[in-house]
Order: sequence, then C-alpha cells, then structure tokens
Amino acid sequence: IALGVRSVQALLCTLRAVPSPATRALPAEALAAGGGAVRTLRTRPALLSVSKFTEKREWITTESDTGTVGISNFAQEALPEVGTKLNKQDEFGALERVKAAREVTEINEVLAENPGLVNKSCYEDGWLIKMTLSIPFRTKDLMSEEAYEKYIKSIEE
Amino acid sequence: MRQPAVRLVRLGRVPYAELLGLQDRWLRRLQAEPGTEAPSGTEAGALLLCEPAGPVYTAGLRGGLTPEETARLRALGAEVRVTGRGGLATFHGPGQLLCHPVLDLRRLGLRLRMHVAALEACAVRLCELQGLQGARARSPPYTGVWLGDRKICAIGVRCGRHITSHGLALNCSTDLTWFEHIVPCGLVGTGVTSLSKELQRHVTVDEVMPPFLVAFKEIYKCTLISEDSPN
Repeated sequence: IALGVRSVQALLCTLRAVPSPATRALPAEALAAGGGAVRTLRTRPALLSVSKFTEKREWITTESDTGTVGISNFAQEALPEVGTKLNKQDEFGALERVKAAREVTEINEVLAENPGLVNKSCYEDGWLIKMTLSIPFRTKDLMSEEAYEKYIKSIEE
Repeated sequence: MRQPAVRLVRLGRVPYAELLGLQDRWLRRLQAEPGTEAPSGTEAGALLLCEPAGPVYTAGLRGGLTPEETARLRALGAEVRVTGRGGLATFHGPGQLLCHPVLDLRRLGLRLRMHVAALEACAVRLCELQGLQGARARSPPYTGVWLGDRKICAIGVRCGRHITSHGLALNCSTDLTWFEHIVPCGLVGTGVTSLSKELQRHVTVDEVMPPFLVAFKEIYKCTLISEDSPN
C-alpha cells in the first residue's frame, strides 16, 4: 500500500495498537496517553531503547530526551491508501495526548519520496517522526527494573 | 486542549510540621472529592512548597532510624519524624527546597511511576536551568537526582487512592554537615551535594523557585493557580 507522508502523519492518532514483535526487553517507563491509558516502554540494555506500546501499533525508541516514533509491522499492513480522507481534528491527536512529548522535531522526509519504506522497514528506515520528551527517560541498568517495580508497589496503596 | 490546573501554595520558610499539616488537609480534601472527571475549574491538586525553618531528620515507610539514632539526632538539636513516604532516612532543613505535590493522578492522567519520573525530571531540569549539566535520576535503591556520585535531590513519594503526597527535597544552600550524622537514604559511602556547592556560590531557595515552577509546569503540562486567585 503506497502512502504519502501527510496521510501517515494524520494516521498517528487513529492507529490502535497490537504488541510489536518481541524484543526481550525490560519495562522502563510509562507514557500516559489519551484517556489515561498507559503504555509501558520496554528497553533493551543498549544505547537505544526500543519500546512497545501494549495494545498500540506505534513504537518509540528513546535516546536520552529524544523519541522516535514509528508503526509496527501489523499496522503498516493496515494503512489505507493515499488520498483517504481523515478528520482534521484527528491529526496529531495521539501525540498531543502523550504526556511526555514536548515537541515534534523532525518528520522523516525520505518517506515523501519513498513512502513504501514504512511497509518495508517499519522499525528502522520507515520511522515517522522524532520528538523531544519533557520527561527524559533515564538509563536503567538490567538489575534495577525489578527494584523499580518493587519501589513503586511499596509506595502505593 | 485545556491544561489541568494545580493550586500553587508557597509557604515560605516554615517548620516542617506545618508543611505536613497542610499536606494532610489537602489529602483529605482531594480524597473527599468524588469521581475521576473533575468539573472544569477544579484543580487537580496542590503544589506545596516550603523551606524548612529548622533541622529535621525523617524516616520513611521502610524505617531508616533506630531508637538509638533517633536519640542521638535529637541531642544534636534536630527534630526526628517518621513519615509515610517511600525511602529511608534523610534530612530537611534551611537552604533546602521542599516540594510536595499533592495531586490526584487520575485528573492528570498520570501513572504513579510517571509522577516519580516527572518529579525527577523537575529536579534535573532545574539543575540545567541553573547551569548544571549532567544531573541524572537513578533507579532504586539510588532513587533521587545525582551529579556523579553526589546526590543533590532526594525523592520520597507516597500514593494512596491515586492521591500523591511527599515529593522532593532539593539542596540549594543546605548545610550539608547535617547529612554526616546519618547514612542518607541508607546508601553507605555516597555523597550529598547542593546547588551552592556545585556552583561555588550561595544559591538560595528563593532564587531557585521561579525556574523550578517553570520546570514543573512544563513537565506536568499544567497551569499553576496562585492561592490568592479566586477559587
């Protein structure tokens, strides 16, 4: 399915999610989005952390305070054709509701020439946008995630 | 999209007990209000800010101070209190910015772990705004915000029925020698520091307040309503 960048942008908000293919990763932070639904970020013990949004078709990779957003393989198969009309009010709706997002800094312009990249390489070259995060994701080492979970549980009633 | 509002309550330099008392009143008020959808115009909670007037050591849910230690610290002229927050023992006193956001997380659409992350981000951002790069938050058991191996801001939070209490304590011009009498947050061999120590000049809580509020609004994506505004 061929895509123009504009329809891809507009679709970010309407995408619902499914878990992206497994990376064995550790939960790191949570992003609150739309109506209080929370998605857990999963991190690999590497410089780049790939995260899954449970029940969402987007993924976000974080490096310090920058996030890169794309869509999962499942989602790219379901995208409508170029020219499909979408409601204007939906544009960037999901991104605005993502509490941690501060500002969209970059849109993948390569997609304008080569929209099929989203289909061919949805996790890498087919990324959609980059944004700065107002809540930077801190580096977490492998051993600390359990401790973090325990800590959160211990302070919650 | 309209941002949620949080009431800004600046106590100035007051005894720690006064901050706790006000926190309790806000907790009762927020826990009494029904539902997750607040009618427009109602705040999502309050941001309580103060500078402790006197030295006080506090222990958390997991304890942190034995009866012997408590007696010894009292003999130094400090108060000793047990609180319901997470974490172990720490110190509060003049020169420190104490920030207790008493927030209904449902009204802000925040999970508890995001609130903790946001508090850390406020301290990190404040350090940046003061010209200090390299501040970073660390995971438990090193919860807090650090510059290298020196902790500049302690974080200890509690959450009951979606309402948060306690928060952060940022050393601006705190007399760091008070920390020598405890193992801060139970971490043997770690250091503490302050903005004054790092910047090699006297940095007061008053100086730090405006940029801190800017950071808070930016990170929590809320507006702050001053307490002398109409309710």
